[in-house]
Parts: sequence; C-alpha cells; structure tokens
Amino acid sequence: MNLNSLSLTARLSLLFAASAVIVLLGLGWVVERAVQNHFIEMDRHEIEGKLSLVRNLLASAPNAAALAAVPAQLENALVGHQHLQVTVFAADGTVWFTSGRVQFPQQRAGDTLQWLAWSDARQAYRGVLAGLKTAHAPLFSIAIAQDISHHEVFMRDFRRTLAMLTTLAALLTAGLGWAATRAGLRPLRRVAAMATQIEASRLGERLPGSQVPAEIETLVAAFNAMLARLEDSFRRLNEFSSDIAHELRTPISNLMTQTQVALNAAYEGEVAGEKYREILYSSLEEYERMAQMIADMLFIAQADNGLLQTGQGEVDLSSETRALFDYFDAWAEERGITLALEDLREPHAPPLTGDRLMLRRALSNLLVNAIRHTAQGNTVWVRLASAQGNLSISVENPGPDIAAEHLPRLFDRFYRVDPSRQRDRTQQRDRTKQLDKASEGAGLGLAIVKSIVVAHGGSVQVISNAGCTRFQLVF
Amino acid sequence: MKILIIEDEPKTGDYLKQGLTEAGMVVDLARDGWDGLHLACNIEAGKQAYDLLILDVMLPGLDGWQVLEGVRRAGMSMPVLFLTARDQVADRVKGLELGADDYLVKPFAFIELLARVRSLLRRGKSSIEPTVLKVADLELDLLSRRALRAGKRIDLTAKEFTLLELLLRRQGEVLPRTLIASQVWDMNFDSDTNVVEVAVRRLRAKVDDGFEPKLIQTVRGMGYRLEAPAPAPVSAAQPP
Repeated sequence: MNLNSLSLTARLSLLFAASAVIVLLGLGWVVERAVQNHFIEMDRHEIEGKLSLVRNLLASAPNAAALAAVPAQLENALVGHQHLQVTVFAADGTVWFTSGRVQFPQQRAGDTLQWLAWSDARQAYRGVLAGLKTAHAPLFSIAIAQDISHHEVFMRDFRRTLAMLTTLAALLTAGLGWAATRAGLRPLRRVAAMATQIEASRLGERLPGSQVPAEIETLVAAFNAMLARLEDSFRRLNEFSSDIAHELRTPISNLMTQTQVALNAAYEGEVAGEKYREILYSSLEEYERMAQMIADMLFIAQADNGLLQTGQGEVDLSSETRALFDYFDAWAEERGITLALEDLREPHAPPLTGDRLMLRRALSNLLVNAIRHTAQGNTVWVRLASAQGNLSISVENPGPDIAAEHLPRLFDRFYRVDPSRQRDRTQQRDRTKQLDKASEGAGLGLAIVKSIVVAHGGSVQVISNAGCTRFQLVF
Repeated sequence: MKILIIEDEPKTGDYLKQGLTEAGMVVDLARDGWDGLHLACNIEAGKQAYDLLILDVMLPGLDGWQVLEGVRRAGMSMPVLFLTARDQVADRVKGLELGADDYLVKPFAFIELLARVRSLLRRGKSSIEPTVLKVADLELDLLSRRALRAGKRIDLTAKEFTLLELLLRRQGEVLPRTLIASQVWDMNFDSDTNVVEVAVRRLRAKVDDGFEPKLIQTVRGMGYRLEAPAPAPVSAAQPP
C-alpha cells in the first residue's frame, strides 16, 4: 500500500498506536528489570543468611565430635526450606553433607564468595560457593542452591500480561486516535466543504480565515490568494472576450451599414464610379484594421501560450534605438517632437540576448506611444542603464500624469485610459484621417510590449508623476 | 509570365486569379493538391510551364507541403510562394526548408502579394545592374549617390535616397507601406503610424515640387508608385 495515499486519519491512528506500543514496551522492560533485580536481591539475602548459619555451625564446633553432630543440626535448621539446598564438600571434593540432590556446576571454592546461576533439565537455580577454614577440621566448601523456578514462572506470566496489555493499549490508542483525529480534522473538512461550494460564477467568495485553527489559516490564506488570482484572470478573460466582440462589432456594423446604404442608393452616371470607389476605400481601411487586430491578437495569444521563441541572438539596444529613431524621426519632427538617447550603461554591461525583431517591435510600440502622448516642442527620452547584471531601457515622455488606478492595467489588452475614446473611434478617425491614421491604436501596443518582454524573461514598469511618464523594461 | 495558383478556398482562388490577371499575368488555378501537382509539373516547349507557384498550405488531399515536395522532386525549380493561415515560426521554417522562396500569412493585402510575386519573378533574371536609374527627367546615380531632377541636384538624406532607389527600381509597381518600411528601414512589423506617409511626402516635396510631371503617386488604400504618367489614370494620382 502506498503510504502517501493513506488517509490522514488512518495515518495518525497508526502513529498513535505505534507510539503507545513503544512507550509500553519500554516501560515493561524497565519494570521487568526492576522485578528481576529485586528477586536476585531477595534470593541473595536468603542465601547469605543460610550461609552465615552454616558457617557458624561449622566454625563453632569445638572438636571433631561436635563437628560430627553438625549435619544433624543442619538438617533441623533446613526443615521447611524445601527450595533451599545446602551442600558441604570436604577438602578432597567429596560430599560431606547435603540436603538435596541438586548438582553444583562447581565444587571447589575460591577465596571469595562465588555467585552462580544455572539450570538443569527441570529447574533453574541460583547459588553461592564459599570456602571455610576451621581450626581443627579440613577445608570445607559450602555450596547453597536456591530453586528459582517460581521466579521464572512469575516472570513468564508477567511478560505475557505485558504483551497482552500492550496489544490492547495499541488497539485502544489506535481507536481513540482515530476518533480524536477525526474530531481534530473537522475544521479541515469544513474548509474543504466550503471550497467545494465555490464555482466559476462565484469566484468572489472567500473562505473565512478567522474561524479556523492556526495550522489551516495559512492554507486558507493561500487558497484565498489563489482565488483572487483566478478571479482576476477570469475577469480579464471575460473583459477580453467582450472587448474582442466589441472591437469587431463596430467595424463590421460600419461595413454593413455602408454597404447597405450604397446598395440602396443605386448611384448613376458620372459620380457612380467615384462614389463606389470611395466606399471601397473606406471598407478597405476597416478591413486593414481588423486584419491588424487579428494578427496582434494571435501574437499575444502565442505569447500567452509560451509559443514565442526568443532566440539567442545578441541584441544591441543602442543600435536598435538608433534604427528606430531613424525610422520615426520624420514623423516625430512633423509633430515637433525631439527624440533623444542617453546611454548610461556600464562599460562592460552584458549584451541582451533574444529576438532582435521582437525587441525592436516592443521598443517601437513604446516609442509610438510616447510620441503620441507628447505635446509639441518636447523631447522623448530613451535611456539605457545597467545595474547588477540587469539591463534596463526606459522610454520617457513629458505629458499629463496617468492616474494611479490605470497604471497596473496599462499593459492589459484593449485597455484605454480614457474610456470615452474606447468605443468611439470611427468619428475620431474621420477627423484625424489625413493627419495620422493611427491615433487610434487598437489598444494592443502595450500588451504586445509586455508579451515580448515577458517572453524574454524581463519585466515592465510604468511610472507617471510630476508631468512625466516613464515606461521601463528590465531584463 | 505564367503563374499557377493552388488554392482550395473558392473565393480566395478566384480573387487571386482575377487580381493577378488584371496585373497582366497569365494565371491558372488548381483547386486541390493533386491537380496542382499535376499541372505544376507540366513542361511546355521544353521548359517549365509556370514561372511561379502560389501555394496554399491547407489543401484537401495532398497538402501544400506535399505538393511542394512533389514539385521539387520532379525537378521543377520555379519559385514558390506559400500562403498560410497559421503564423507559426515552425510553419515558416518548414516551408523554407522544403524549398519555398517566400510566404505570406493570411489575411494579407493583395498589393503585398503582388509586390512579392513581382519580386520573385524578377529574381533569377540576371541583368547587368545599372549604376544610374532613370525615369523621365529624374536621375539617380547609385555610385556617387546623387540625385538629379531636370539636371538640378536634389539633396537627399540617406534614407530618402534608399526610398527613392526602391521606388525607381520598381517603377510602375505599387509598393505597399509595409514593404517600404521593411525594405528601407528594416521594420518588419506594422507600427500603426503614418511614418511611411510622412517620409514619402517629404521625398515628394524634394523630387516633385516645382517639377513636372509629378512622378511619385499615392495609390489610395494601397501604397505608392513612381511612374512617368504618360497616359496616367486620373484617379490613381492624388495629392497628399
């Protein structure tokens, strides 16, 4: 099973159960050690008691006759101690006295006490081996064994109980953990349920950020931020579609009206040719504008889909600017506007890599925009600068400030600062036709600039204050 | 000049044929790829039947690419101009790799097509490059870069000289604004301004003001033409 796909509840329950098992096993181990040590302590205490008794009896026997009476005394002293066996070995290793049949693993004692633990086929023992030297008797080795099987039995039971308890506790903890987790995750489910409710048509709704636990708060905040971005994109897309429809509707309705009027009028004679020609010219202008708009839209759509290939050519911004000045000079001069270039780049500023044609187009759009919005007698400045490996080019023109609320949307498709200009281009065109066919760009110039710059990994900015508007491209 | 158009869209095909015929060319029209390929490989009087192929990329049956491949495989070397509705870089590259000579993206201006067709037809006609271009009493010396009108020296800027040279080299042809912007300033996009108009107006002031006949003509809705108006159509020449 893939652990990553396990539900959060199941995962937490398992973790709780595992923790419980680990804690209980640890605790059990500690208790077991303590009990075991206690048993050993108890056994040694008892054995040592008997050892000193045997020693006393042996050592206090004044003579051989008294020594011969010691076994009987020992028998008496050991009555009622069935699980205890005392064996005394003579110096030659023979059994001098024994109270049972247990075989000792060792018969000869050293100078110090020797604690032993061993087991035979049926039982387990703990014992001690000690030497004793009396004034008038040969060297004895005293061995005392205690049957500790009952301890072992106790420990086995203890372990079994512990195992059972642990299992039970694990199951119980898992169950409780499951319940607790479910209860704990309820806010998350609530948030998910609320998120499910939000549809494309209700993108304005937000999840309540204040009524959720702190851990989910960041999630809710991120989700809300995503919603805001989505809403924004949706809004733009909606506006975009309606803009396209609107932009196309006006010229098409013009064309239709014009054609119908012409068909109705049925011009005759000398003027007819001229009249019809006039209508065709007028239509051609509309067609050209629509064709241009479609081409621009396709270009932006390609850019939006990441299909623009920017190439790896080196582009010299200053020579591009000069080429554009060369192109626009006459036009600007007619409008009484001077074009000026200022190169503030560091001596070893890196060249810009990209598509020369596209960058030239972007710059051209900025220049056209600047020249159009500059009053007679002023200068449009193009400034190149470099800082920390970045190149920037700015196009600056004096002119009335653009209100701050328009600035972020200037690069949107079809966005126009003056809405009255937006839907009323036909009349304006008639007025200015002879002067400048183009004071009515489709509102796509700056959108194209942005597409090109973004495709080159750059960014666009616009600042407008103190009677000066500056568009800046940073790469 | 014989041209073959391979275009399946009926209206487009008809208009192209009509337009090019009216421009003085002999035009055949094929409606699909197989007919087109078949016709394009015709041999007449020991040489290729057509001097130019205008090829739509999206064709039923055999598409434009395949026709182009077939034509080249048959050893036909006439120039090919392809028309495409999709302006994708990959498409252009593919067409040029397959041996097309030029392309136009739909929708295009007819005058643009005409200019390109003429340019392609002229290609390969190796004539000795003249060093002096002349029309009526206007003279352009390409080596000394001097312009004379009625024997009088005209002062031109470098770009004005280039513009006049273009108009002279292609005298009699209507040159669309986009073509002028591209050839003179290397601006291969529509700047949505009347820059070219301004430049032509200035050139005209230097070349035509005070002289007769007026040589530089505006063809409304299409572009500009330089021509000695021997029997000039009245409607073609208009004041700026």
